Amino acid sequence: MRYPVIEESTVRSDDPVRQDLPGGYAGSLLRVDLTSGRIWTQPWTPAEMRQYLGGAGLGAQLLWEEVPAEVGWDHPDNRLILATGPLAGLPVWGTGGLSVVTRGAMTNGATSTQANGFFGACLKYSGFDAIVVQGQASRWVYLSVHDGVAELRDAAFLLGKDTWQTQDALHARHGLPGHQMSVYSIGPAGENLVRFAAIAGDYGHVASKNGCGAVMGAKRLKAVAIARGTKALRAADPQGLFQAADEIAYDLKTNPTAKSLYEYGTLWGVLNLHGQGALPIKNYTTNIPPEGTDLAAWEAPSLRQGFDHRGHQCNACGMHHCHMQVIPTGPHRGELVDEPEYEGWAGAGWAIGCTDPVAISWLNTQVDRACVDVNEFGWVIGWVMECQEKGYLTKEQLGGLELRWGDVEAAARLLHMINQRQGFGTVLAEGVKRAAETVGGPAAACAIYTGKGSSPRGHDHRARWEEMLDTCTGSTGTLETGPPVHPTEFGMPARINPFDPDAVAKNVGTHLGRRHFEDSLGACIFTTRTLMENLCRALSAATGWEYRKEEAMHFGRRTAVLLRAFDLRCGLGPELERPSPRYGSIPVDGPAKGQDVARHWEQMLDVWYETVGYDRKTGRPLPETLRALGLDDLIPVLWGPENRRR
Amino acid sequence: MKVLRIIPERCTGCMRCELACSYVQTGTFQPARSVIRVAPFEAHTSYAPYTCPQCAEGWCMTACPVGAITISPVGAKIVLDDQCVGCKLCTIACPYGTIFYNPETQKAFKCDLCGGAPACAEACPTSAIEYVEAETGDWLGVFAATRAARHHEMQVAGAEVG
Ligand code: SF4
Ligand code: SF4
Repeated sequence: MRYPVIEESTVRSDDPVRQDLPGGYAGSLLRVDLTSGRIWTQPWTPAEMRQYLGGAGLGAQLLWEEVPAEVGWDHPDNRLILATGPLAGLPVWGTGGLSVVTRGAMTNGATSTQANGFFGACLKYSGFDAIVVQGQASRWVYLSVHDGVAELRDAAFLLGKDTWQTQDALHARHGLPGHQMSVYSIGPAGENLVRFAAIAGDYGHVASKNGCGAVMGAKRLKAVAIARGTKALRAADPQGLFQAADEIAYDLKTNPTAKSLYEYGTLWGVLNLHGQGALPIKNYTTNIPPEGTDLAAWEAPSLRQGFDHRGHQCNACGMHHCHMQVIPTGPHRGELVDEPEYEGWAGAGWAIGCTDPVAISWLNTQVDRACVDVNEFGWVIGWVMECQEKGYLTKEQLGGLELRWGDVEAAARLLHMINQRQGFGTVLAEGVKRAAETVGGPAAACAIYTGKGSSPRGHDHRARWEEMLDTCTGSTGTLETGPPVHPTEFGMPARINPFDPDAVAKNVGTHLGRRHFEDSLGACIFTTRTLMENLCRALSAATGWEYRKEEAMHFGRRTAVLLRAFDLRCGLGPELERPSPRYGSIPVDGPAKGQDVARHWEQMLDVWYETVGYDRKTGRPLPETLRALGLDDLIPVLWGPENRRR
Repeated sequence: MKVLRIIPERCTGCMRCELACSYVQTGTFQPARSVIRVAPFEAHTSYAPYTCPQCAEGWCMTACPVGAITISPVGAKIVLDDQCVGCKLCTIACPYGTIFYNPETQKAFKCDLCGGAPACAEACPTSAIEYVEAETGDWLGVFAATRAARHHEMQVAGAEVG
């Protein structure tokens, strides 16, 4: 199948550098309708760029405008928005960013989930700021983008391939190796509509949340392959941009909160979180490492020394924390894997009772390649292991499989059953919330999930109330605000008591919007761990705007409101904003033993709602909040007569 | 003379050098116009940059029929735009493939050491490119050979690395 490229717009994306646009922008969105095979470009105006920026902000606006309530996650009219932002492709660290915005399969609501690599840079050098996919192909296709030319091609030869094999095959097919072509694809999981399927690219970068891979699978879009284009990007003030980039880099290298990321990525996460009781062990049944665990092996330098390492950085990034590594021992000796980030060590390891770095490294890459969210993977497998241990699930139910804590080989077999939807794999492919509801009985009480259906990240949030509150109230299909970066910039104390419900809720509410801004720049969550002032300076130098922290937060809040309004329209209201019984239970041991988040839940919600200016009962942003954000047109939509009943 | 010494083992494949170079070359961010280029080795698992080593022989200069290539004060072979007729002979003569042809300007272009302050060396976050007093050399030969051998070994072992 080969569709012609239809250029409908007056602005062709192969125009030379556009002086009439703010710097940093390519100037067009690439629109793809898989049902008709039609492809077209849509220019956007400088005013729209300033209002929606890119990434999460642009995606939220498009989602709100184009996906009505009756269009569920697997409906052809759902949009899969693959957007980057104004800093992508520019010399600020980590600027290859991809934001996936869609109506996701886990919550059947809004999704904003990010990955890095080279996607954003390749896309912009090809002349586009975002790709908006709609429709459903009649046969499997992949989208190829090359310097302003886009086509849908037959993907039959890619079917069944995992995400690494898919990238290998497309590099070979197009003769563009290494960073000459960025490929984001789904694995077997996405093809088979596993509800927590993810989209992975550039060997090890995953947009993992809310089943965005299942959305791509429902569209029969196997991959997006973007050759690194030959077009130029302009910065309004290049010297200012270099300076801002240097300041950000300096901050990341020296500021204590970012420095350890710079040196070791998230490798210190396991020990740090263990010390707080926030390392999830064996499906939240304990916070004490299994007997015989060598904790010294979990110090970051030891973790790294254990492997043959090869740097594998994202676009323009000096964080040097991404690595490929070779499995040194055991049954998979010699295999190439991606060094796990913290979430991988937790989801493919501690949460399922495995504490062997070599085994976890291997399993983590299998998860990325088959391509499911590693957090949900941990909660699903951990749940099965616990249920089997307790006799709530039998060997027969699992097709003869016995899963004992820490058995990565058995976990990999179960992963395969999930991806292929074989036997009990079909039940598990729906994610742990739905699987628990199907199985029922005492097993249901062991599952870790949020009321909306999203997967908590790989911590034990019973010792991180901020993130539990954030994940449960979030409208992005994952935690929405994240741990504060430089809280003093927002007048908040540098540190709070993590078990003080008022302080926790106030902190989460105050920072709402910051991450939406970060996720709209085309950069990475690690490289935006700097002062807002620095980010705004970089954005100003790139675009030529005078962009300040206040505008950034206004923008972020506005984006958050749009995503919330979208979720409410999808039927995801405040009654769902609670942890599952296990997720919100009381730790029985470890540093957070006895801390009872459930007891304070309503109080935290009260304070959070008050802080963000949403209505506690209906969940809707209050009219005055909407007015303050310039969203007056949403007042009749959210507060009009047809909504009074709620 | 100061040269760009490349230490390929340090490269993480971030492409900052290309970005910085393209800015000096064009005033925009357009890695396709960079004269330092980062190539993958061992499938996608190792990367290394390469640019004109300013070879002692100066093959490009010798090949140029109109004398458009000359030596700059910092010792770089440079293309004089007003002399270059775009015949591309230099691009064929260069054994390293580090002099390029721009179809838009119809001129050859290459590394000029940024007049003595190379942007790539400045931009590289891992010091894989250093601007130092040294004999120029073939910076990648050994690296490429060992990586190729290692890749071959892995393929024989049956691991999928692309
Ligand atoms: S471009 Fe090639 S031939 Fe010319 S000086 Fe450089 S390495 Fe030598
Ligand atoms: S800037 Fe340095 S680390 Fe990055 S690609 Fe170039 S040589 Fe490699």
